[in-house]
Amino acid sequence: MGELWRRFSYLFNRSRLDAELEADMEFHREMAARAGRNNFGNTLRMREQSREAWGWTWLDRLIQDLHYGVRILARAPGFTLMAVLILAIGIGVNVSAFSFFNMVALKPLPIRDPASIVRLERRSLDAYTSEMAYPSFLFYQQHAQTLSAAIAVLGVPPMQIDDDLQLTGASFVTPNYFTELGAHAAFGRLFEPSLDASPSAPPAVILSYELWQHRFSGDPSIVGRAIHINKRPATIIGITSYDLASFGGQHPALWMPIAQQPYFIEGSKALSDWTDSTVRMWGRLAPGVSAKAAEQELRALTDQLRKQHPEAVWDNEFIQSSPGGHLQVMQPQMYRIAAMVAVLTLLILAVACANLGGLMLARAVARQHEIGIRIAIGAGRARILRQLLTESLLLSSLGSIVGLALGCLVIRLLLTSLDAPRWLSVIPDWRVLAFTAVVTLLSAAFFGLAPALQIARQRQQKTLVRQLLVAAQVAASCILLIVAALLLRATQHALFTDPGFGYQQLISVDAQLGKHGYSSQAASTYLDQMQNRLRALPGVRSVSLVKLPPLGHIVSNSRTEINGRAVTLYPNWVDPGFFATMGIPLKTGRTFFPNEKHAVIVSESFARQQWSGQNPLGQQIGDGTTKDTVIGVVGDAHINALNDDDAAEQYWPAQQDDMPGMVVIVRATGEPGSLAAPIKSISESLDPKAMPEIRQIKLLYREDVSRLEMIASVVSAIGLAAVSLAAIGLIGLVAFTVSQRTKEIAIRIALGARPRAVLTAVLHQYIWPVALGLVAGAACAAFASRVLRVGLYGVSNLDPTSYVAAIAALLAIVLAAALLPARRALRLDLARTLHYE
Amino acid sequence: MPMSIRPKDGMPPGALPMLILRVLQSNSLHGYAIAQRIHLLSSEVLAVEEGLLYPTLQKMLVKGWVTAEWGISETNRKVRFYRLTPAGRAHLKAELAGYDRVTQAIQDILRTA
Repeated sequence: MGELWRRFSYLFNRSRLDAELEADMEFHREMAARAGRNNFGNTLRMREQSREAWGWTWLDRLIQDLHYGVRILARAPGFTLMAVLILAIGIGVNVSAFSFFNMVALKPLPIRDPASIVRLERRSLDAYTSEMAYPSFLFYQQHAQTLSAAIAVLGVPPMQIDDDLQLTGASFVTPNYFTELGAHAAFGRLFEPSLDASPSAPPAVILSYELWQHRFSGDPSIVGRAIHINKRPATIIGITSYDLASFGGQHPALWMPIAQQPYFIEGSKALSDWTDSTVRMWGRLAPGVSAKAAEQELRALTDQLRKQHPEAVWDNEFIQSSPGGHLQVMQPQMYRIAAMVAVLTLLILAVACANLGGLMLARAVARQHEIGIRIAIGAGRARILRQLLTESLLLSSLGSIVGLALGCLVIRLLLTSLDAPRWLSVIPDWRVLAFTAVVTLLSAAFFGLAPALQIARQRQQKTLVRQLLVAAQVAASCILLIVAALLLRATQHALFTDPGFGYQQLISVDAQLGKHGYSSQAASTYLDQMQNRLRALPGVRSVSLVKLPPLGHIVSNSRTEINGRAVTLYPNWVDPGFFATMGIPLKTGRTFFPNEKHAVIVSESFARQQWSGQNPLGQQIGDGTTKDTVIGVVGDAHINALNDDDAAEQYWPAQQDDMPGMVVIVRATGEPGSLAAPIKSISESLDPKAMPEIRQIKLLYREDVSRLEMIASVVSAIGLAAVSLAAIGLIGLVAFTVSQRTKEIAIRIALGARPRAVLTAVLHQYIWPVALGLVAGAACAAFASRVLRVGLYGVSNLDPTSYVAAIAALLAIVLAAALLPARRALRLDLARTLHYE
Repeated sequence: MPMSIRPKDGMPPGALPMLILRVLQSNSLHGYAIAQRIHLLSSEVLAVEEGLLYPTLQKMLVKGWVTAEWGISETNRKVRFYRLTPAGRAHLKAELAGYDRVTQAIQDILRTA
């Protein structure tokens, strides 16, 4: 340790120590001269050698190289600016993407001991749900030794405060919710296990900071006052803090104790029903317990539970744990999307680097003279190489700084547009900084190494490297443009083509009768009355029932293979009038009879895939003892999977038992918005407790499409950035070729070569790299875009229009970029050029 | 002919630091005196080149075997005197023991082989 310390003291006192060393040597020389010896060596060199013993020579060289690099870059401000800009785009895109991923999946939540929080979900080989029944949760909470705490959140449809028209998002939580978060109230108090665990405790509600600001204008005296939630009086006991971080990144506006759920939602059996999965479960691992060990214990508990309540547990069910201390509990398919985004953004970086590499190679010609002099006065090859790499590193560091700033800006825009939790900050944390550092080094190596090697070797500039760089850029731009084109096509398709059902005039009315404790008989009566009264309304064309409404809260599907092709099956339960109300055309056969059983209607593409060439009517579906007969085929309408072209639908007749879960679908003759108020008053008069959620499908559909539009525009922006980078690079390279071959071109023109021949001669060397890049890029895109399939709203991932459009656009840009500087060759002043040479 | 100390001349590497440590054992000396002392004590067989002496001294300073402090030379000049530290003393002892063992072994071979 002492030695290291001394080394540092030598670093900090180097000028004094160097002077002392010089004095030593000077004295030595004097004494030697006195003794008659005059052949004292070169003091400067000896001092340098002595200093090497201190171990800081590399630092000296680095500083020297940096000084020199700064001078070189400052002398070519145009090039430097261009290079930094190119890198800033390439690095900025990557930093933004990583910052987002970091925010969502890596950064621990600012809560008490986030690393020990796990999300617990029910899984089996062929099913999974993110929610479990509350009694099951209680069973695990009471028996699990590996969990020091278990937290449950019961999400409910939006609730009504006093007489508001706009409903408010709400959650019921276990009383340990806030204590496990380690959260503090801004005013009043948060839930306490000792005060809020009992169903007989006084009804309490906690407001989110935003709700308190907007609905109650930030008045602190509101704490302790009574308000009505769904017509039920309750006392406001506290306001959450401004920057509350909650489990799973959910931030409802109202929190109520889970024990009081039956009080607020009258008739609900959610807390006692073993088969109704309603709560999300989080756990805190006991100290020293691994997630694996907890899973093991929970597996044993699931087996015990199966013996006591076989109806509550699936075959082969187990509880899966995943790290829960982040904003988002990552599922495998999210990692797939993240990987896809990573590939796209790295492609941008590749384009930027290849581009800059090309520019540096071209610049190398201009620097040949300078490097030659340095070698002539004794600089070693390694020294020159190090100097050039230092320059690259300097450039990439500058690019990174600008890129980091760009990334922060993007995240800032994102946070404000997404209405993100307030604790999230724009300031990069160490992970983002480390990522930026790694990207800086990698890009410096990528764009700097090849040119540096060539320059240091003092070789004739090889065109092959340049050609390969051009090919790489074109390929990467091609992939990005094709993906952008596919997404744009998908957006257009979603906006301007029929999704298979007439969504414009539809309204769904979801009364959630099951959650209010309706029996199937009572639900049936309610729905009949509701339908009859709706039909009597002016402006209503038709009314029917469906279990899983379009763009609803619940999506149910199963994956299967038909004749070797992966298909996602979407089952649904409907009444006979459903297809007419939805505007889904009946292709062949008939719709259900009232109260029909053992019949099924399938979508066109399902019928085609399953029984291609045969008559689908009369075919049997189902496994085991109950087979259902196909009685009709309807048009494809991916009502629960708008963007998935592989989806296939199966419709079963809704039975009496399904009634508590049915949703009313209304088709209006005119503007559906005007029906909201009358529907509300009908439901109030039928049962004031039910408070159905009334949703216009048109708005939901637009919302869904606008998400796609956003993604498409981001990818297009990235694609355009890549293409313009490639264009800039190509302009530079062709300009360089022209300037290098001025004499040859002049001679050709003087000998009578036509402009075409001259252009061919100049551009010849870039023809095959561009062609190769286009072919390779299109092939990569065709291969990689298979992942995109499910998000393309029915557009094929090999959609020829997109490919042709993308390739044509790219080709046009590349041609323009090449011809622009090449035309200079045609306008040479022949006499002067030839004379000068 | 004085012979210069260079590692590549077959001198065991590390011999110069050992010699320097040894001449500094009794009293502290400046650089020139160290070279002179080695020259004289070796009956003018060994000469220490400045180009090797100063880098070696710097290495020994960093290692902590010697320290430098200001003093006045016999010619009345302000100059740095190098002094052995306890760590240097310990190192010298270890070096000498090792060196003795090796030379003894070599002598044994030369005598008996």
